[in-house]
Amino acid sequence: MAIATPPTRVAAERMERLDEIWQSRPGVLGWLTTTDHKRIGLLYFWTTLVLFGAGGAEALLIRTQLAQPNSHVVSPNTYDELFTMHGITMIFFFIIPMTTGAFGNYLLPLMLGARDMAFPRMNALSYWIFLASAIFIYTSLAIGKAPNAGWFDYVPLASRKYNPGHNIDFYALGIIFNGIASTLTAGQFIVTIFKARAPGMSLNRMPLFCYAFLAASFGLLFALPALTADTIFLFLDRNVGTHFFDVAHGGSALLWQHLFWIFGHPEVYILIVPAFGIATSIIPAFTQRRLVAFPLVAIAELLVVFIGFGVWAHHMYTVGMPTVSMIFFAAATAMVVIPSTIQVFAWCMSFITGFARFRTPLLFIAGFVFMFVTGGLTGIMFVAIPFDQQVTDTYFVVAHFHYIIFGAAVFPIFGGMYYWFPKVTGKLYFERPGQISFWLIFVGTNLLFFPMHIVGLLGMTRRMYTYPSGLGWTAYNLAETIGGFVTLAGILLLLGNLFVSYRRGPPAGPDPWHGPTLEWTTSSPPPEYNYAVVPRVTSAYPNWDPVDRQVDRLNLGDGAFMLDRGHEQPEVTPVDGRFAEIVRMPHESPWPPVLALCLALVFTMLLINRYEVAAVMGLLCLLALVGWHSQEPEGA
Amino acid sequence: MKAPRKDRRFAFLILAVVPLAGCGGGDSANSLAPASHQARDIANLFWWMMGGAWLGLALVVALLFWSWKRRNRRGWGDDVEGDKPGEKRSWYAVVGLGIAMPIVVIATLFVIGDLFVIKTTQAPASTTTRLTVEVIGHQWWWEVRYPGTHAVTANEIHIPVNTPVRVEVETADVIHSFWVPELNRKIDTIPGRKNVVGLDADKVGVYRGLCSEFCGLQHAHMSMLVFVDTPSAFQRWLAHEEQPASRNPITSLASEGEQLFMNGPCSSCHAIRGTDAAGFVGPDLTHVASRTTLAAVTIPNDRENLREWIVNSQHVKPGNQMPNFDLSGHKLDALVAYLDGLK
Amino acid sequence: MTDYAVPEERIARPAAWWGMWILIASEATLFGVFIGTYFFLRFKTGIWPPNGIPKPALVVPLILLAVLVGTSIPMRLAANAALERRLGATRLFVSIALVVQAGYFAYAVHDFSDQVHRSDITRDAYSSIYYTLLGASHAHVLLGILFNLWLLGKLARGFTTYRVNGAQAIALYWYAVIVITIVVYGTLLSARA
Ligand code: HEA
Ligand code: HEA
Ligand code: HEC
Ligand code: CUA
Ligand SMILES: [Cu+2]
Repeated sequence: MAIATPPTRVAAERMERLDEIWQSRPGVLGWLTTTDHKRIGLLYFWTTLVLFGAGGAEALLIRTQLAQPNSHVVSPNTYDELFTMHGITMIFFFIIPMTTGAFGNYLLPLMLGARDMAFPRMNALSYWIFLASAIFIYTSLAIGKAPNAGWFDYVPLASRKYNPGHNIDFYALGIIFNGIASTLTAGQFIVTIFKARAPGMSLNRMPLFCYAFLAASFGLLFALPALTADTIFLFLDRNVGTHFFDVAHGGSALLWQHLFWIFGHPEVYILIVPAFGIATSIIPAFTQRRLVAFPLVAIAELLVVFIGFGVWAHHMYTVGMPTVSMIFFAAATAMVVIPSTIQVFAWCMSFITGFARFRTPLLFIAGFVFMFVTGGLTGIMFVAIPFDQQVTDTYFVVAHFHYIIFGAAVFPIFGGMYYWFPKVTGKLYFERPGQISFWLIFVGTNLLFFPMHIVGLLGMTRRMYTYPSGLGWTAYNLAETIGGFVTLAGILLLLGNLFVSYRRGPPAGPDPWHGPTLEWTTSSPPPEYNYAVVPRVTSAYPNWDPVDRQVDRLNLGDGAFMLDRGHEQPEVTPVDGRFAEIVRMPHESPWPPVLALCLALVFTMLLINRYEVAAVMGLLCLLALVGWHSQEPEGA
Repeated sequence: MKAPRKDRRFAFLILAVVPLAGCGGGDSANSLAPASHQARDIANLFWWMMGGAWLGLALVVALLFWSWKRRNRRGWGDDVEGDKPGEKRSWYAVVGLGIAMPIVVIATLFVIGDLFVIKTTQAPASTTTRLTVEVIGHQWWWEVRYPGTHAVTANEIHIPVNTPVRVEVETADVIHSFWVPELNRKIDTIPGRKNVVGLDADKVGVYRGLCSEFCGLQHAHMSMLVFVDTPSAFQRWLAHEEQPASRNPITSLASEGEQLFMNGPCSSCHAIRGTDAAGFVGPDLTHVASRTTLAAVTIPNDRENLREWIVNSQHVKPGNQMPNFDLSGHKLDALVAYLDGLK
Repeated sequence: MTDYAVPEERIARPAAWWGMWILIASEATLFGVFIGTYFFLRFKTGIWPPNGIPKPALVVPLILLAVLVGTSIPMRLAANAALERRLGATRLFVSIALVVQAGYFAYAVHDFSDQVHRSDITRDAYSSIYYTLLGASHAHVLLGILFNLWLLGKLARGFTTYRVNGAQAIALYWYAVIVITIVVYGTLLSARA
C-alpha cells in the first residue's frame, strides 16, 4: 500500500498532522538529536561501513605482508597490531553493529509495524556510545599503541609484565565501552519485539527476521557480561595490581580463557543469526514462496544461540583439560550443528519449490548457503577432538571462520544491502553490475580463504608475521593475497553500483520485489512515522495478504487508527499480540550524545589512570541522566 | 618423494595439489605426512572427514543447482498465499536431511574421533615410558631437558625411533604451544602447569615443530627440530650432550674467545656447563656448535650466521631478548671461534 | 476507532517494567560471572581463604543483610501507593527506604575501607575477587539509592504515568539488589565453611 497519495480529505489532513508531529529538526542538529530508528540505522550503517573499510585495509596489509616469505612490508609489532585490530574491528565494530545497529534498527520496527523502538532515546544513546568507543579504540592505532595480543588477548601475554604499554588498556576499556552500546541495543530490541508489534502480530505471525534478531539480542544480553567481567579483571590486574590471572598469587591464566570463550562462542552465533534473518527475508521475496518449515526455522534460530552457550571450551582443547570435559564440550558442539542443518535444508527446499529469480540479493544468499556449508563442515571436523588439537591455531581454523564469517555473515549483509536499497533510497540499483559484483566477491573470497585450509594442514600457524620459504606455503599465500584484492574489487564495485544507483537509479516504488513483510507496504523511503495507519496483521507474510492491505486502505480513507495526537505508538501483549495501550514516545533529545561524551571522558580518564577525574566525569554522566529524564514524553 | 598409498587414494578429493610427501628433512611441517601412529590416525581421520565433507557440500550444491535449473519457472507472484503443493515433501526433506542425517553422521564422527582416535593420541601416563623429555617454552625459544641426565639443549630435540616418549611442557613466561605436526597433535604450555604429550615416531628423520600459540613479537620465529634417531645414535647423542664443554679450546683464538665470553655479558645470560657461565636467560650453549640452526630455527648455524647473530641479533630476529653487541674484528673472531668449537 | 479499541484495564506490563528486567538480567549475569570466578579460583586453591587472611566476619554482614531486606517493605508500599497515585504516601515510603538504605551504605563503605586496611586487594587472588564482589554489590546499593533520590525529586512535582511506571521499575530494581546482595554475602561467607 503506497500512501503517497492520501485517498480522502480526512486522510490527507491526518497525514499532514503526522508529518508535523514526527518531523525531525533539519540539518546536523537533527541528526545529533534524532531518535528516529531509521536515522539511527543509517548512522550506524555509515559508521560501520567506514570501520569495515578500516578492518579491510588492515586485512589487506596483512595479506600484502604474507604474499611472499620473509618480507618486510610491516614490522613485527605493526603486524601484531594489524591482526588484532582487524579481528576486533571486524567482530565488534563491523558485524555486530552492522547487523544489529544498521539492519536491525532500520528494519525491525518496520517489520513489526511499529513507528519506533520501545526506547528511542536509548537507541540513540547506543549509537553515540558505539561511535565514541570506535573513536576511542582507533585512537590507539593513531598514537601507535594499538592492542597487539590478538582479538582473544590471552594472558599472561596481555598482562602488564609482558605488555607494559597502554595497548592492552585500550583493548580492555574499549571492549567494555563497546559492550555497553551492544547491551543497550540488545535490551531494547527485546522489549521492542515483545511490546511494539502491530496489534494482531502474535508471536507465531512474527517474521523470521525478527526471531533472528530476538535470538541475537538474547545472546548479546547474556554473553556480554562474561566479557565485561573478564576485561574488568584484566584492567584491574594491569592497573590496580589484583591477581585474577596471576598464577604466582593464586590466580589462573585459564580463567581468562574460560570467561573469554563463554562470551566468545555465543558471540559467533550472534554474528551469524542476524544473517540468517536477512536470508530468511530475501528467500521468500525472490522465490515468491513462504519459507519451508517456518516453525522449525524459528525454533532453530533461537536454539542455536541457546546451545551456543554450552560449547565454549571447544576453543581450548589444547590447554590440557581432562578428557571427560573435552568430550562433554565436543558432544555439545555436535548438537549445536542440528539447528544449522535444519535451516540450510529449509532454505534449499524453498529455493527448489519456489519460483527462484536469481537477482543479486538471491545470488548473495545462494553464495551464502555455499560458504556457510563449507565453513560449517570444517566446523564439524573440530568435533573430532584429536583433529582439532592438530589444526587449532593454524590457518585451517582461520579458513573455517572466514568462510563462515565472510561467507555466512557478510554475504547476507551485502545481499541485504541490495535487497533493501530500494526501500531505503527509493531507487532501484543496476542489476548487471550487481551480479558482477557478486561473482567478483564470490570468486575472490574463495581464492582468498580456500587455500588457507591447505596451508594450515601444511603446518602454517596463525599470527605469524612472516614465514620461511621452503615449507610449501608460498604459492598458497600468494593466491590468498590475490584473492584478497579481487574481493576488494568486488566490494568496491558493489559500493560504486549502489552509489551511482542512488544518484541515477530509476524510482523503485514502494514494493519492487513483491516482498512478503510489512516494510514493503509503506512508501520508499518510509515516512518518519513509518505507517500512517497501524497495519493489520494476520500472518507472517502480511504484504501477501491482500484483504488486510485493503483494510488498511479503508482505514486510511476513514482516517481511522492513525494515532495522530502525538508521538503515539500502540503496544501489545507480549505473546498473542493483543492491543494493550497507546503510548507516547519521547522524541528528539540532545542528551544521548551528551551522555556518550561524558562516558567517553570517563573511559579516557580510566585509561590514563586518573581515577579521581574519572569519578568526577561519572558524576557528569549522572547529571546528564537527570537532564535526560527531565524530558518526559508529552502527555504521558 | 612418493606420497603414502593411503594419501594418494584420497588425494583426488582435494582440489589443489597438496605436497603430500613428508621429507623428514626438517623442511616440512605437514600434518598429512605423518611419521607416527598418532599423526597417522589423525591424518586418516581427516581424509575420511574430508571425503564426507565433499559429499555434504556436493549435496547442497546439487540442491542449489536444481533450483537454478528451475529458475524463472512460471508462477511468480501468482499464488503466494497458502501452502504450495509439495509442502509435505519439503517438510520431510528438512526433517530427514536437516535432523536425521546429521545426527547419524555426527554421532559416527563423535564416536570415532572422541572415543577411539582420542585414546591413541593421548599423552602416556608418567612412568609408562622409558624416556621423558622436558620442554620449557621461553619468549622465543625452547629449552630442552632430559630428566635424569645432565643434558640440556635448545630448539632441538632428539628422540629414538619406535620408542614412546613422554614430553612434559612448561613455560617460563607466557603461553606457547608445542606442536610437531608430523608426529602428534599440539599441547599448550600454561603458566603454573605441567602438560604432557606423547611422541612415538616410527620413521627416522628430522621433523619441524612450531610454537602455535601467539606469544608475542617473535612468535613467527619460534620453531624447533625434532631428530628421530636410531636408538644407538640417540644414545651416542645423549651421552655426548651430557658431557660438559671441553675445557681445552683448540686454538689460542678460541681461548681468547672463552675469556671474552666469561668476562663479558654473555655468561650472565647463557650457561656453558663445565665453565663458570651459568646464566639462564638464554639457551644453554654447552654444545651449541653441534646444533644445526640458531635462534629457534631462524638461521642455519654456521660461522657467518653466528657472527651476524652476536652483532646484530635484533636485525635477524627483531625484538628477541638478546641485545646487539658492538663487537668486531679480532674480538668477534675470537668469540665465534670459541662458540664454533663447542661441538 | 474500528476494531482497535484500547482495553480499559491494563492487560500488559509497561515497557519500563520490561526495560528494568533487561537491566536486571544483565546485572545478574555479571554477578553470576563474578561468583563463578570466585568458585573457580577457590577450587584451584587449597586453603581458602589463603594463609594469613582471616575468615570473613559473620555477624555484622548478617545484621546488615537483615536491614537491607527490611527496606523491601517500604519500597513495596511505595510502589503500591504510586499505583494508587497517593502522592504523600509514596513520598513517605520512599523517604523511609532511602534513609535506611543510606545508613546501610554508609556503614558498608566504612566496613569496606576498614577491611581493605587490614588486608589489601592486591594481596592475592582471594582478596581480588573478595573485594571486587563486595565492592560491586555496594555499588549496586548506591545505584538503588540514586534511583530513589531521583524518584523523590520527580515526585516533588506530582505524578505522571511515566513516574508511576518509574516507581514500579525502581522498586523492582531494589528487590533485585537485595537478592544480589544476599547471594554475594552467601558466596563470601561460604569461605567460613
Ligand atoms: C559466524 C561465526 C561462526 C559460526 C556460525 C561458527 C559455526 C561453527 N563453529 Fe566456529 N568459529 C568461529 C566462528 C563461527 N563458527 C570463529 C571466529 C572461530 C575462531 C576464533 C578464533 O580462534 O579466533 C571459530 C572456531 C571454532 C572452533 C575452535 C577451533 C579451534 O580454535 O581449535 C570450533 C571447534 O569446535 C568451531 C566449531 C564450529 C561448529 C561446529 C559450528 C557449527 O555451528 C556449524 C554448523 C553449520 C553446518 C553444519 C553447515 C550446514 C551443513 C550441511 C547442511 C551439510 C550437511 C552436514 C552434515 C551431514 C553434518 N569453530
Ligand atoms: C567479520 C569478520 C572478518 C572479516 C569480514 C574478515 C575479512 C578478511 N580477513 Fe580476517 N580475521 C577475522 C575476522 C574477519 N576477517 C578475525 C576475528 C581474525 C583473527 C584475528 C586474531 O588472530 O586475533 C582474522 C584474521 C585474519 C588473518 C590471519 C592473521 C594471522 O593470523 O596472522 C588474515 C590473513 O590473511 C585475515 C585476512 C582477511 C582478509 C583478506 C579479509 C577480507 O575479506 C577483507 C575484505 C574487506 C575489504 C577489502 C574492505 C572493503 C571495504 C570498503 C572498501 C569500504 C570502504 C567504504 C568506506 C570507507 C565508506 N584475517
Ligand atoms: C640479555 C641476555 C643475553 C645476553 C647478554 C646474551 N645473550 Fe645470547 N641469547 C639470549 C637469548 C634470550 C637467546 C635466544 C634468542 C631467541 O632465539 O629468541 C640467545 C641466543 C643466543 C645464541 C643462539 C643459541 C641457539 O642455540 O639458538 C647464541 C649463539 C648466543 N645467544 C650467543 C651469545 C653471546 C656470544 C653473547 C655475548 C656476546 C650473548 N649471547 C649474550 C640472551 C642473551
Ligand atoms: Cu611461543 Cu608462539
Ligand atoms: Cu566456538
